Amino acid sequence: MTSTRYYTKRLGQSVVTVFAVVTLSFVLIRLMPGGPVDYLRAQYIQQNLSPEEVQEKIALYTNIRTDETILEQYVGYMTSLAQFDLGRSIFYDRSVSAILGEAIPWTVLYMSIALCLMFVIGVSLGAFMAYREGSYFDTLSTLTAIVANSVPYYIAAILLVYALGFELSVLPTSGRMNPDTVVGMNVQFVLGVFAHAALPVLSLVVTGFGGKAITMRGNAISELGEDYLRVARLRGLSERRIALRYVARNAILPMYTGMMISIGTMFGGSVILEMIFAYPGVGYYVFKSISARDYPLMMGGFILITVAVVIGVLIADLTYGKLDPRAGGESDEAF
Amino acid sequence: MARTDISDDPMASSQTTVPTTTDPILELRGVDVTFDMDRGQSRVIDDVNIDVQRQEILGVVGESGSGKSMFASALLDAVVNPGTLSGEVTYRPDPDTDIDVLDLSDSDLKRLRWEEISMVFQGAQSSFNPTLSVRGHFTETLKAHDYDVAEGLERARELLEDLYLDPDRILDSYAHELSGGMQQRALIALSLVLEPNVLVMDEPTAALDLLMQRSILSLLNELQDKYDLTVVFITHDLPLVAGLADRLAVMYAFQFAEVGPAREVVLDAAHPYTRALLRSVPNLDIPLEEMQAIEGSAPDPVDAPEGCSYHPRCPLATEECRIEDPPFETVETGHYAACYHHESTAKAVPFDIEDHAPEATEEWP
Ligand code: SF4
Repeated sequence: MTSTRYYTKRLGQSVVTVFAVVTLSFVLIRLMPGGPVDYLRAQYIQQNLSPEEVQEKIALYTNIRTDETILEQYVGYMTSLAQFDLGRSIFYDRSVSAILGEAIPWTVLYMSIALCLMFVIGVSLGAFMAYREGSYFDTLSTLTAIVANSVPYYIAAILLVYALGFELSVLPTSGRMNPDTVVGMNVQFVLGVFAHAALPVLSLVVTGFGGKAITMRGNAISELGEDYLRVARLRGLSERRIALRYVARNAILPMYTGMMISIGTMFGGSVILEMIFAYPGVGYYVFKSISARDYPLMMGGFILITVAVVIGVLIADLTYGKLDPRAGGESDEAF
Repeated sequence: MARTDISDDPMASSQTTVPTTTDPILELRGVDVTFDMDRGQSRVIDDVNIDVQRQEILGVVGESGSGKSMFASALLDAVVNPGTLSGEVTYRPDPDTDIDVLDLSDSDLKRLRWEEISMVFQGAQSSFNPTLSVRGHFTETLKAHDYDVAEGLERARELLEDLYLDPDRILDSYAHELSGGMQQRALIALSLVLEPNVLVMDEPTAALDLLMQRSILSLLNELQDKYDLTVVFITHDLPLVAGLADRLAVMYAFQFAEVGPAREVVLDAAHPYTRALLRSVPNLDIPLEEMQAIEGSAPDPVDAPEGCSYHPRCPLATEECRIEDPPFETVETGHYAACYHHESTAKAVPFDIEDHAPEATEEWP
């Protein structure tokens, strides 16, 4: 069947993409002047270790065996990668998978809250604007949305930290939980977690809802002008059904792909944000690894970011046709 | 065709003859549709008086921009905003019940539309929600009108079969998966699922090829018989509808120019515009040397000409025509033309289609 073939093909493409990105990162890291191996070697030599010990340590940290050819090293790295072994972080002296594995839920937590809010606010606002097209409300909201959307999230983040964090002191400006609380399912802890997530969420939502609102407004306005809406009204459908099943649904569907891709890019987008808020999630560790020249952690972070994007796009591609019959692609049109 | 008759309606007494019929299911009197625009009021239906006879097929013919689509919307009080519809539209589900369509409450109007008077639009694909299956359209329509869904779907299947479609396949499809002809037929089935008395069709075959047009017309004939429908068929294509309609009503400049039995209108058109229209279409096989485009352009709804709106293009126009809008005059029983000089049009705008009249087109569906 064509659809099975399409799925297989799309899945294959994704695997190839990940493979290519990992290979590229591997090569680039070795091309970097003062690459990780030189860096480590210099460090260990300073610590007066014997050449054998140096070699051993390097191999342990980077999965790179310097006495092997680059091809052998590559095969070795890929083999351990296939076993989910990302090597050891130099800076934290822990396995990269452990560090990232522990960081992922935190990033996912506030990012998904932010994406949900952004989407819900954007879509509802956009729909209202479309229904009141041309009104003061519409003009004002469009203006607000465009202005908000043109502010980079890290600028908003800095402003918010300054205003809400330092000046008004209503929200914590760094960390991801209240240090005085016991980790677990208790009210204090959960409240602390949300309070710490508030500022990152706010900076993303404030700068992100506008784009969604404007897209939704445009989609909904073109839906409102469709002939089938007029026919639906003549057929006696309630305004409620028309608003939900016709306008909203048809206007949101084209935004679905964008939504899935933003889920995929959440780790990549977290780097600067988590730095500003000193929020130890994936982005925070990636940033740290760069400044500390912690190459194994850096490599791990890059791979995680890549895989997330590839999976996001893959899911978007594979499911969109199911959700929106218009995107059937290989539809069997009959004449 | 003795079902038409000259009226003695008081509304018609001021020298104006109104093209009435004996048992009208729809009666329009003094109907206007106007749009307020920056450069003035646009009158896209101008004081229209006409009857639609019960169980007839009325062909409404006009050029694009003649107001024929607005006429269709007016029948269901479905003129789109910001247009305003005024005048009188009376619907008679049976000869003794008068329903003032423009005076209905919202819920009664909702019932009138689709349950009593239904409509098929031009461009079937754009009449379906692209993300809803054809079945979904039937179900939601039945639900919106509190009809029994299972029973209604049974009726839908029968209708689809009447239209030579495979019900299961069509119901499970989305509009874009069907061909133009299938979409149009599915839309006709959808318009009939609540068993209306009147079906208004606005250019229902415009986007289809000739073969499909004709097969849809023949299906329409069968449906009309089977379900005792009254059909108002609106088109720019006079020859297409000439063989199908019982009566023809020719629209020019937001008014009816001529109304009469189809055969008579085609063979013996009394209005200069109708004759020009007949001469401008190739399908009737009139001799090529007699074929001619209508000179001039259609009038502007904001700034319609004084007097007879056709006078700038009419070869017979006289002083009288430029001053006063001509009323309907009776050409023959049931045949009306809004023209001062309808008696002399045959000579002034000649053409010869004796052997190609609708009656001779038996091979038509
Ligand atoms: S009334 Fe006069 S201008 Fe109008 S169609 Fe008749 S002859 Fe022509």
